[in-house]
Amino acid sequence: MFGYLVGRLLQAVVVVFAMSVIVFVGVYAIGNPIDVMIDPGATQEIRENLIRQYGLDQPLWQQYFTFVGNVFQGDLGRSMVYNISVTSLVFSRLPATLELVLVSVTIAAVVGIPAGLYAGYRPNGIAAKLIMALSVLGFSVPTFWIGMLLIMAFAVELGWLPSGGRGEVAEFLWFKTSLATANGWSHVIMPAINLSLFKMGLLIRLTRAGMVEAMGAEYVRFARAQGLPDRQIVFSHILRNISIPVITVFGLELGSTLAFAVVTETVFNWPGVGKLIIDSILQLDRPVMVSYLVMVVILFVLINLIVDLIYARLDPRVRLKGGS
Amino acid sequence: MLKTTLRSGIATLALLAAAPTVMAQDLTIGLRAGPDSIDPHWSTLGSQAEALRHVFDTLVDVDEKLQLKPGLAVSWEAIDETTWEFKMREGVKFHDGSDFDAEDVKFSIERIPEVTGPMPMTLYTKYVDSVEVVDPLTLRVKTKGMAPSLPNDFTRLFVVSSDIGMEPRNEEFNAGDAAIGTGPYTFVSWEPKGDLVLSRYDDYWGGAPAWETVTRREIADDAARVAALKSGQVDLINYVPATDYLSMQNDSSLETFVSDSVYILNIAPSVKDEEPQPIKVNGEEVDGNPLQDLRVRKALDLAINRDVLVNVVLEGLGTPANQLMPEGFFGYSPDLPAREYDIEQAKALLAEAGYPDGFEIDFTCTNNRVPGDAVVCEALAQMWSRLGLKVNAQALNGTVYFPAAAREEYTMTMSAWGTLTGEAAYTYGALTHTKDAEKGFGNFNRSGYSNPEFDKVFGEGSQTLDPEARKKLYEQASVIAMEDRALIPTVILQTVWAAKADTIDMTPRVDQETRAYAIMPE
Repeated sequence: MFGYLVGRLLQAVVVVFAMSVIVFVGVYAIGNPIDVMIDPGATQEIRENLIRQYGLDQPLWQQYFTFVGNVFQGDLGRSMVYNISVTSLVFSRLPATLELVLVSVTIAAVVGIPAGLYAGYRPNGIAAKLIMALSVLGFSVPTFWIGMLLIMAFAVELGWLPSGGRGEVAEFLWFKTSLATANGWSHVIMPAINLSLFKMGLLIRLTRAGMVEAMGAEYVRFARAQGLPDRQIVFSHILRNISIPVITVFGLELGSTLAFAVVTETVFNWPGVGKLIIDSILQLDRPVMVSYLVMVVILFVLINLIVDLIYARLDPRVRLKGGS
Repeated sequence: MLKTTLRSGIATLALLAAAPTVMAQDLTIGLRAGPDSIDPHWSTLGSQAEALRHVFDTLVDVDEKLQLKPGLAVSWEAIDETTWEFKMREGVKFHDGSDFDAEDVKFSIERIPEVTGPMPMTLYTKYVDSVEVVDPLTLRVKTKGMAPSLPNDFTRLFVVSSDIGMEPRNEEFNAGDAAIGTGPYTFVSWEPKGDLVLSRYDDYWGGAPAWETVTRREIADDAARVAALKSGQVDLINYVPATDYLSMQNDSSLETFVSDSVYILNIAPSVKDEEPQPIKVNGEEVDGNPLQDLRVRKALDLAINRDVLVNVVLEGLGTPANQLMPEGFFGYSPDLPAREYDIEQAKALLAEAGYPDGFEIDFTCTNNRVPGDAVVCEALAQMWSRLGLKVNAQALNGTVYFPAAAREEYTMTMSAWGTLTGEAAYTYGALTHTKDAEKGFGNFNRSGYSNPEFDKVFGEGSQTLDPEARKKLYEQASVIAMEDRALIPTVILQTVWAAKADTIDMTPRVDQETRAYAIMPE
């Protein structure tokens, strides 16, 4: 178990390292960040001074090692655009994304898994067919388009919900969240539903597929023959058996939503990290890009780790071995 | 006891009665872009200056047409060839109650090189050699050589209180501790990409503004900004997209405000001896650079139907351009005729230049840098194909376009240029003057255009202090560069604001700024 954890952490370090090299080389290949940011009226002299000031005249490997050196001293650098530390910039916006993603995956799981179970339990019923048809819509219709429709209907025409923004925030435990106020909830609910649709569709289909397969499995027939009630068969036997693929996909989706909720954030003007990273890419704000992606890699590794731990808990046949 | 209850009851009633007017004193504006910092000396970004103008005043101000008007300085004059004298406004107070004087201006000029970022404000102080405070209301600026445009540069010189000292940086300004200006609003709060909240400064020298609280909300997405206005979350939005502008015309609950902007879409043909991307005839690279021939550049110009660009491609949100600046700007030449569309003459010129069957050329533009750039790019390619050219048009993201354009990798480009200072030296000096790092000219001249006659007339203008004589020389220089087709201007872009009908009254500005203190409740 301990060896397994160490192996996983080493893996994470290698990925982080590779990723930071890719970002450095990528930005270097695109060009000089100063040329993107600089004011049209600047003289050649001003431009060259800036390039020197930000160390962009040094060879790439030297710039990279300066960066790595600073990271080892706990300094991820300062944003070139905002001139504030990257850590405080990212963490000032992370809670907004976290709460949005949390609400959205909860909605996806609470609606998606039961709907999928039902669709698999009575695969030929009308309700099941309807659920399946809607699930296809869920992940085939573009998110931004559904987002615009929701805004048009509920904010512009009906006026029930605000069209965007995060609303009031209040202190909860250690950080400020809009989930602690009613006004905040009215802001979060629409983008959260919008963000959950894709995942919901995915969960419905996965759960249903597992359910249909399990219904014909021997252990289910055996349980039926024993005279166990259906409720018990579905919830304590089948659900447990089909959980592994569902949890895998759920974990991956959680990670990618956290990192790249940008479409929904843009449409609903949600002040999360997704918009920050897109703007940083457009402005070639390298310190923010590198640090943010490092955090994303760490996040993915952590989520995968948790998923693996849950596997082992659910399925006693899975053994966690060092480095595997 | 009863008396106090009664009294407080009446007070509550009075408050309730007054509530609607209190509401009317709040203004929430949805803006495409906001500041990057609350430090006014951090960046030259337009949206930064626009936001911080509410908190800090500039030494010199500009009107809706970008012509100079008094700011913190009431008057200015050149007392000799290298000295400007500015007279300060009397009785101005900072938000913390301290007095404003010439020392604060000196401090601000000296602070800029210490704190400015990758979009450096030193641009506006590059001519300053030294600053001398003669008395609290008089400031003398010694310049490096002659600097007729110094007052124009100082329209971006934000004045901070010298009491804050040299230490405070972006963090202290963002937190509000150092954000002490003389402007019409005091700073309340801001977060990156979020809301900038401002509160009325009652002792403002220009008279207290109409709105008590102003919230400048950054909503980058066009559709989201329009939705925010329609759902009543904001009172006013800027940069309304052309498609929404059309539908708003039929919506009586909304009102739009339209203005020419400073931005003009210009085509830049490379006239270097060897073009960066080969120009081909029948797949073979041609000898020399066809674009060096004035007849070819004129043919390209004549083949552009600017009325179609404005009315069809830009949905009416534009004005045909015949030079690099809009009318009324300092150095705009009234002598230049409107550009004609004449495809027959264009074909004849092209044949005369030796390309009767046209040629194949790459054409690179910005995409989404300004509204309409990509569609105009495609439309131009089609117009030129009528001339017989095969145009490989490509609209690229600014992140890719600008560094490559700076490396001069493109044969022909189109991008927007805004004459942000309202005068010709800024535009022609950067775009059409021969590249000259020493004089600081031609730093955005990527086409290799170089005409000694233009350089001479323009150079003379930049060394003339008398405004009338300088204006004449700049007009003459504009004519030379435009007759040469050094750059080919296409359309002046227009900007649209929208608000709920009959709620506000505003005069749209050519620099696209949305100044809350110039907006009145209706």
